[in-house]
Amino acid sequence: MYDDLAALASTTDERQFAERAIEFLSRNVERRVDQTTSWGTGPEDLALFHETTDEEERADADAAKAWQRCRWEAGFGWITGPPEHGGGGMPQRYDSLYRLIEVAFDVPDMSPLRLGLGTVVPALVTSGSTYLLDRYAVGIQRGDIIGCQLFSEPEAGSDLAGVRTKATRIEDGWRITGQKVWTSNATFSDIGLALVRTDLDVSKHRGLTMFVIPMDAPGVEVRPLRQMTGGASFTEVFLSDVQVSDDLRVGDVGSGWRVATSALSKPMRRSLTRAS
Amino acid sequence: MTATQALSAGGTLAFTEEHEELRSVVRRFLADRSPETEVRRLMETIEGYDPVTWTMMAERLGLQGLLIPAEYGGASAGFVELQIVCDEMGRALLCAPFLASAVLATSTLLAFDNPRAHETYLPRLADGSLIATLAMTEAAGSWSGTDLTTCAVAVVDGDGDRFELTGDKVFVLDGMVAQLLLVVARTDSGLGVFAVDADAPGVAREPMSTLDATRKQARVSLQNVPGTLIGVDDTSSGPLSAALDRGAAALAAEQAGGARRTLEMAVEYAKVREQFGRPIGSYQAIKHKCADMLLEVESSTSAAYAAGWAIDEHSSEAGVLASLAKAYCSEAYYHCAAENIQIHGGIGFTWEYPAQLYFKRARSSEALLGSPRHHRELLAQRLGI
Repeated sequence: MYDDLAALASTTDERQFAERAIEFLSRNVERRVDQTTSWGTGPEDLALFHETTDEEERADADAAKAWQRCRWEAGFGWITGPPEHGGGGMPQRYDSLYRLIEVAFDVPDMSPLRLGLGTVVPALVTSGSTYLLDRYAVGIQRGDIIGCQLFSEPEAGSDLAGVRTKATRIEDGWRITGQKVWTSNATFSDIGLALVRTDLDVSKHRGLTMFVIPMDAPGVEVRPLRQMTGGASFTEVFLSDVQVSDDLRVGDVGSGWRVATSALSKPMRRSLTRAS
Repeated sequence: MTATQALSAGGTLAFTEEHEELRSVVRRFLADRSPETEVRRLMETIEGYDPVTWTMMAERLGLQGLLIPAEYGGASAGFVELQIVCDEMGRALLCAPFLASAVLATSTLLAFDNPRAHETYLPRLADGSLIATLAMTEAAGSWSGTDLTTCAVAVVDGDGDRFELTGDKVFVLDGMVAQLLLVVARTDSGLGVFAVDADAPGVAREPMSTLDATRKQARVSLQNVPGTLIGVDDTSSGPLSAALDRGAAALAAEQAGGARRTLEMAVEYAKVREQFGRPIGSYQAIKHKCADMLLEVESSTSAAYAAGWAIDEHSSEAGVLASLAKAYCSEAYYHCAAENIQIHGGIGFTWEYPAQLYFKRARSSEALLGSPRHHRELLAQRLGI
C-alpha cells in the first residue's frame, strides 16, 4: 500500500532511505485519508491564519514538539544536519524526499515549529558558534525548543534593514532595547532570533547584528496583536533593557544583514519543495 | 424624458451652494456624533445605533424626513440631497437605521399610492419616532423578488386589506430595532407589501452575526402574523422596483463616500510613512494604486449622483442609472477599501486601525440590495440588451 511513496525515490540509496521512512511513519501514524477536493464535502475552514485560543495554540505546539522528538529518535529529526551535532549529514534531496513521503501521513500540524526549523536553525548553522549549534539548533531539531523570528519592526517593514532596536555593549554582553512586531508564535517560543542595531555610525546594512534572545529573559514582553478578523495570530514583542551574554551573538558584530538574508533564503527553498 | 434630454433642456448636474452647505453641516454633525470611538462602541451593541443621535438627526437636521413631503412633516427635499447625506454617512460609517428606515422603508411607502398608509406612518418616520425597515430577502439572499416564499393570505371577513403572513425573512436591515416591518410577500395578484407591527404575535426576531458590525441585520420569522396591505406590485417595473432603485442609488452614494474616505486615508498615510528613507507615496507602485483609486472614486461619485439626479428629474433612465451606479460603486468601494489596506501594509490589517471597518462595510454593501452581477443583469434587461 506504500508503493506510490517508495516510487518517489529515484536511486538505490534513496529507495533504501524511503523504505526506512515509510516503515517509521507507518508504524507511528495512519496514512492520510485522500483529500481530493469535491464540492460540498469536507471542512469549510479556509482561514489562512488559524484563530485559536492560547490553550489550543499551546496544545498544537506540544503536539508538534512531540512529533519532532519522534522524528529525531528515528533519525529523521535533522536529515541534513551536521553529524557531529546529531544530524544525518545527508544532501538536501533526502530532506525533500522525506517531506514528500511524510505529507501522505496524518502527522500533526508542524507550523508551530516552522520558524525555528526554517529560519533560526539555518541562521545558526551558517553563522552560529558551536555552543549555539549544540544548545539551540539541536534543541530545536530535537523538538525541545521552539524558536521565533524577531525581525520586523513598526518602522522596518519592507525596509527590514531599517530596524531600530538597539544593542549596546555592557561588561559581559549586550543590553537590547526596542520593539518587534508581527511576530508569530512568540507566546509559546523559548527563543527569538533578533536582528538589532549595534552601530549607528555605519551604513544601515552594516550596523546590524543577530542575537538569540531567550524569551523568558527579564525585559521581554509579548503582547497579542489583534487582526481585522478578530483573532490574534501575531504579537508585538517589547524588549526593554534585555541583557544577553556575548555567546548569544550569531555571527560577527555587523554581520546581521548577511545572517538574516541567508536565514530567510532557506524557508523559501523549503516551501518550494513542499509536496502539497 | 431621458437624462440626456433633460441635460440638453438646460438641466445641470452640478452641486449648488445649498448642496455644499448641506454637506458641510452633515459632515460637522457626524464628526461630532459619529467619531470612530462611537462607531466601535455601537458595533458591539445589538441595537447598533444611538437613540440620542437618531433624535438629533431628526429634530436638528430633519434628515429622516428628507424624502417625505412637507404635508407629512418632511422636507420635500430632492433625492440628490438625500444622497449627499448618505455620502457623508458612508464616510463616517454612521451606525444608524437610516438606510433601512429613512431610505428603503420610506421610499417603499411613498412608491405606493396609499394615502391611509402615508398618513399613518410618514409623519412618525419624518420626526424619527418610528423606525421601519423593508423585509424582503429570504434565505437565498435574492433581491429579485421572483423566488420569495413568504405568503400572505387574506383574512376572510376582513375589509380587503387585512392579511395573515407566514414565512422567514433573512438579512433584514436593522430588523431588531425596527418597530414597523414592511414585509414583501406573495399574494394571488402579485407581490404585496404589508405593514407588520414588529411586536405582533407570531413575529420572532433574532440578530444575525454580520461581517460588517456597523450595519445590523436580523432574521425575522412570521407565523400567521396580521399585516395590512400597503399595495400590490404585479410588474417588474412597478412601485416596489422603483423603491429598490432609490435604495440602490442612495447606497451607491454611501459607497462613493466610503470609497473617497479610504482614498484620503491611503494618500495621507503614503505621505507620512517612510521606508528606505523616503515616503512610500514617492514610489510608483503606490502612486499607481492611489491614481486607480482616485479614478474609481470620481467615477463612483459621478455614477451615484447621475442616478439621483435622474430620479429627481423623473427621467425614464432612473432605473438604468441606479443599477449602473450600484454595480459600479460596489466594486469600486470594495477595491478602494482593499487597496487602502495594501497601502497601509501591516497596520492596515489590524483590528485597532479603521481600514478594516471600511473594508467590511464595502464587502457587505456590495451584496446589499443586489450584487454587481444582479444589477448588471437588471441594467441589461432595462436597456433591452
